[in-house]
Amino acid sequence: MEQQYETKYIFKYWSNIKNDVIDFIYVIINCTVLAIAVTIIGPIRNFLINFVASQSFGITVTSIVFWSLMIIRPRTWELLLFIVVIDVCCAVLIGLQICIFILQYFFNIVLDLQANGLGLQMIIGGLLFSFFGVYFFLTKIRLKYRNEMIDKEKTRRTDVEKANLSANLKVLQAQIEPHFLFNTLFNILSLIDTKPDTGKSMLLDLTKYLRTSLSRTLPEKTTLSQEMSMIKAYLDIHKIRMDERLNYKIDVPDNLWQHSFPPMLLQPLVENAIKHGLEPKVEGGEIVIRAIEENNLLKIEVADTGLGFSDLDQPGLGITNVRERLSLLFGEKGRLIIEENKPHGVRATIEVPVSEL
Amino acid sequence: MNYKAIIVDDEKELRTYLKKMLAETWPQLEICGEAANGKEALKMVDAFAPHIVFLDIKMPGLSGLDVAKNIAGICRIVFITAFDQYAVEAFKREAVDYLIKPVTKERLLQTITRLKKQLQSSPEPPANIAEIITHVLASLQENTNAGYRYLQWIKTQHKESVRIIPVEEVDYFQAGDKYTLVKTAQGEALIKKSIKELSQELDPQKFWQIHRGTIVNVSRIENVGRSFTGRGILKLKNRSDDLTVSRQYLHLFKQM
Repeated sequence: MEQQYETKYIFKYWSNIKNDVIDFIYVIINCTVLAIAVTIIGPIRNFLINFVASQSFGITVTSIVFWSLMIIRPRTWELLLFIVVIDVCCAVLIGLQICIFILQYFFNIVLDLQANGLGLQMIIGGLLFSFFGVYFFLTKIRLKYRNEMIDKEKTRRTDVEKANLSANLKVLQAQIEPHFLFNTLFNILSLIDTKPDTGKSMLLDLTKYLRTSLSRTLPEKTTLSQEMSMIKAYLDIHKIRMDERLNYKIDVPDNLWQHSFPPMLLQPLVENAIKHGLEPKVEGGEIVIRAIEENNLLKIEVADTGLGFSDLDQPGLGITNVRERLSLLFGEKGRLIIEENKPHGVRATIEVPVSEL
Repeated sequence: MNYKAIIVDDEKELRTYLKKMLAETWPQLEICGEAANGKEALKMVDAFAPHIVFLDIKMPGLSGLDVAKNIAGICRIVFITAFDQYAVEAFKREAVDYLIKPVTKERLLQTITRLKKQLQSSPEPPANIAEIITHVLASLQENTNAGYRYLQWIKTQHKESVRIIPVEEVDYFQAGDKYTLVKTAQGEALIKKSIKELSQELDPQKFWQIHRGTIVNVSRIENVGRSFTGRGILKLKNRSDDLTVSRQYLHLFKQM
């Protein structure tokens, strides 16, 4: 990769021929305007001389500054200014010679540089306007560069915001599985007549689950105990549906219950364990959720004894979601590992750095 | 004559509910069994020879439609489905009896009236039901199984365990001596599948072979440039390693 340095933008700008042509036309126009101004104001009232002089100064200074900078490519502003000063001084002297030559050769005008300090006037004027010109161009390029940087920063910021927003949105969309919702409601409906108490507790579980998953924006952090109580509600709902086909165990050491933890990271894994693992398996199975702290990492694993993934099973949106959110929250330190559980089933483990929780 | 029926649903509470509803709407109907999955259902059909089977579609193991294929011509079938738009459309088209969860009394009464009429006019169930089920299955597969034909998971050996990586997370596959290297943002792993096998199993919309020994995840491509020798150079998002596109595969990038 190319190294980034302060003045790089100028060279990038000048590498574009279109920019060069435009700037060159600028120089010609400015020099012409200058020649007209000097003719009107004085000290020399001859337009031809002023025109030739200003153009020779202008073009010489521009060319020398342009080529010397493009070849040397100074990396700091100090070095760049130093080169520009030397360039301009030399260029003005060379420009003066060119001007004298052109006037003599093409127009037969001989300039008496000694008279009235004409030479000195031309050199001082040349230096003054050259520095002014160079300053003008460099400032113009720098301003353009700054605007571009601001635009870039703006788009970067909106990108990050968008990513955050869509992550949030996706999390919500992933939770509200219509199948799950309808099925739970049918179950509650059937239970109302036959086993009203079971129906009531299922309704309470559903409320608990929806309170978290339907909240418009997720809180940044919850505790592991809050998260587990939501997971428990979710699992209890499935337990009523699947009866003895689903068993589950939640194993969190006492010291970790109050640990903070991002919300809705575990639910998609539990959902997967049920949907891909236990629901399609005739005899059902068990889900074990276990939390441990190890080497400054908080590891939470969701293991099932279900069917496991077949090669062609479509991965749920949930897994992609969890990975995206982990990397958004913890960068490379947040990991989701999916493994085969022995003897059968899937084990998904979330690893997050304890220090950043 | 008293008719016999069985109820097949993997959810116990929903079986109980339907049983209760049937007791209210058709008290003469004898519910001689409840099955929680397809296999049990087939056994019960053998054991009790019911006239009617109320059959849930989504069940573990054998699905309701699989069961239906096996018992077609033996008993009349009323399908029960929850929230499955494609199945409902297919049933409507094929004029099959079906109920949508949650089953309402009105809807159940309609079905019962129709069943009674059918049973009185011809005690034998129509034989062409197997054909109809095949139609339904075909149209269901068309609608739901698209995209399931390609490889979705890569299983790699990692120390003691087998890791499972969704193919979406793979940046690219690179052929090695004996194995194929799988490169992801998290690292790399080896698998036994060859590039040739992978090129046949992966979704060609999402994975392109760009070289004899390389398959790349299209969504990870940042840009493509040309080398002096006329080959393509692929830059990938968030990766520093470049990939070479051999001339034979350059046409893939012509439209980019």
